[in-house]
Amino acid sequence: MGRLFVVELDGRCYRCRFCDTPLALADDVISRTFNCRQGRAYMFSNVVNVTVGMAEERVMLSGTHTVEDVFCCRCGEILGWTYVAAHDKNQKYKEGKFVLERWRIAEEVMEELSLDGGRGGSSDPDNS
Amino acid sequence: MGGVEDDEPASKRVKLACGELKGNPNGSLLSEPSVGSSRDLMARLLQSEDDEEVIGSKGVIKKVEFVQIIVKALYSLGYKKSGAHLEEESGIPLHSSAVNMFMNQILDGNWGGSVVTLRSIGLKDESTIKSASFLILEQKFFELLDAEKVMDALKTLRTEIAPLCASSNQLRELSSSLVSLSQGPSVGSSNQANLRAKSRPKLLQELQELLPPTVMVPERRLEQLVEQALTLQRDACVFHNSLDREMSLYTDHQCGRDQIPSKTLQILEAHSDEVWFLKFSHNGKYLASSSNDRSAIIWEVSANGDVSLKHKLSGHHKPVSSVSWSSDDHKLLTCGVEESVRCWDVASGECLHVYEKAGVGLVSCGWSPDGKWIFSGVNDRSISVWGLDGKEIECWKGQRTLRISDLEITSDGKEIMSISKETAILILDREAKSERVIEEDQTITSFSLSRDNRYLLVNLVGQEIHLWNIDGDINLVAKYKGHKRTRFVIKSCFGGSEQAFIASGSEDSQVYIWHRGSGELIGTLPGHSGSVNCVSWNPVNPHMLASASDDGTIRIWGLNSHLQQQKKQQQVHSNGGSIAAACNGRT
Repeated sequence: MGRLFVVELDGRCYRCRFCDTPLALADDVISRTFNCRQGRAYMFSNVVNVTVGMAEERVMLSGTHTVEDVFCCRCGEILGWTYVAAHDKNQKYKEGKFVLERWRIAEEVMEELSLDGGRGGSSDPDNS
Repeated sequence: MGGVEDDEPASKRVKLACGELKGNPNGSLLSEPSVGSSRDLMARLLQSEDDEEVIGSKGVIKKVEFVQIIVKALYSLGYKKSGAHLEEESGIPLHSSAVNMFMNQILDGNWGGSVVTLRSIGLKDESTIKSASFLILEQKFFELLDAEKVMDALKTLRTEIAPLCASSNQLRELSSSLVSLSQGPSVGSSNQANLRAKSRPKLLQELQELLPPTVMVPERRLEQLVEQALTLQRDACVFHNSLDREMSLYTDHQCGRDQIPSKTLQILEAHSDEVWFLKFSHNGKYLASSSNDRSAIIWEVSANGDVSLKHKLSGHHKPVSSVSWSSDDHKLLTCGVEESVRCWDVASGECLHVYEKAGVGLVSCGWSPDGKWIFSGVNDRSISVWGLDGKEIECWKGQRTLRISDLEITSDGKEIMSISKETAILILDREAKSERVIEEDQTITSFSLSRDNRYLLVNLVGQEIHLWNIDGDINLVAKYKGHKRTRFVIKSCFGGSEQAFIASGSEDSQVYIWHRGSGELIGTLPGHSGSVNCVSWNPVNPHMLASASDDGTIRIWGLNSHLQQQKKQQQVHSNGGSIAAACNGRT
């Protein structure tokens, strides 16, 4: 691959668990209560150093959305998804936001994370 | 269009009275003047008739003006007889009689008379009359001084010039020349005198520039109009990539696509990994490339355009992200990613010095134009300045540069540019210690500076390239789109004749070329089998372009005609070379 363009982030940030590329500032977390198949996921207002896949319609618990998968630009690991369009007007707030799966990202401050990631039970209807 | 259709010779024509002369449909005035009085007749006629006679298919060219500038052009080419004859034949005098009288008075030195005539020429602007009178009287003053008629000069100064002086400075200057003459010894007086009063024809020229063009047709007006048209044609020609000398007046200028490099002439395969950066030297004789294989290579460009390996520069322990040529092209800097900067001698390939800083890594490099200092961005966001001996002279701390940033220095050494924030480029003025900033609305990935130091080409994360003017006020001039960029640093550059083109790499393995002025995409060059990371256009040969790719190769691009020549030469060689190749080397 060529000379990778990597944006630096100042301050506490979340990084790719596999290659340590900075992804998003801790300040940009909107919600910590999203859920995905493997467990928790965080919603961010902005992420950097990612590439996106093809847009596709996906049926989620909260309804049908047009989403794109999000990949780390360095190692290519799938990190989560981003909402391109929400068909339900209650879900419009999600458009343009990113959801990254908790077990694929590492927080800067050292925190012991268990690899299985998930904490059972969700109080949030959002499930992918 | 216009013109006298009569076959009758001039002498037989009758001088008609003013009232009877009317333009016929062709608009030509039938009476042929003998010099002098009929010219007055003509002049009065031209003014009295509301004759906005027009020629040309669009009807915007006034015939009188058209003929007058042709007459003027004939005179300035030295064809006095033709000029005079045209004035007669068309009945359109170049200057009104008053102006003719004025011009003769100036050349004869009849200052008083000329000032009087000035008033009757038909100038509307009082300040023009004043300035012109001032120039004339100033000439009179200096000529009197030259002739050493000091008392007369003084009288002129007091009575005639003083009331005209716009500022007391002018008066003071004139008085001081009076004083210095009377004081200084008259050594070689005639020589000294020539330095004071300008020649009368020169005065006439200055007056001509002062007077409005309706009174006196400006010098070289026809040449100026033709040059404007040629410039417009050249600017409109999107493929124009050749010398202006080749423009002809017979047809509108229109280059074909064949002037843009579009074919691979050579593939250079000496790197063992991705090639990330390359740049031609200022004199176009060398090309330097740098690679993920931790080396840089200096290539030599021969007179006929062949590129061959000159030196392989090894020593870095990290991939080499960029190179920088010294102004005289004798030395080369290479930068290892977050490591050190090395200085190499181009002729021998020797490493002259390694620049490093304890605890931090260097991220970019550049030369000062005098070759005495080396600038380098550091991964702690500062910019360091080193002397050639390796001693750090200065360090600009604070948020000056980013890890991934390029570094550019203007060719006069005054300004340094780097990406200081995600969306901003910092322009540091070293002398004035001031800063300017270009603010973008997206993340910036790379940028490059034009040869005239006036423009910056900025590559953005969202697959757009922006052209910014940084000369004086900073403003966005153009945008270029079409290429692909999602993950890598892709560099673009200026190039071609007069740097009229923009070229860029792309992640779809092609080289993209746009016409700088119009923003039109005029070429996509396929061939590489990996992302094209960087391009460089030979500054001396507008038909040679080089590209660096993830496929580990460098491609040299040239014109289709060069490729055909190359093929012919190869055929001849494979045939045993019995027929001497008819084609000469490439330009």
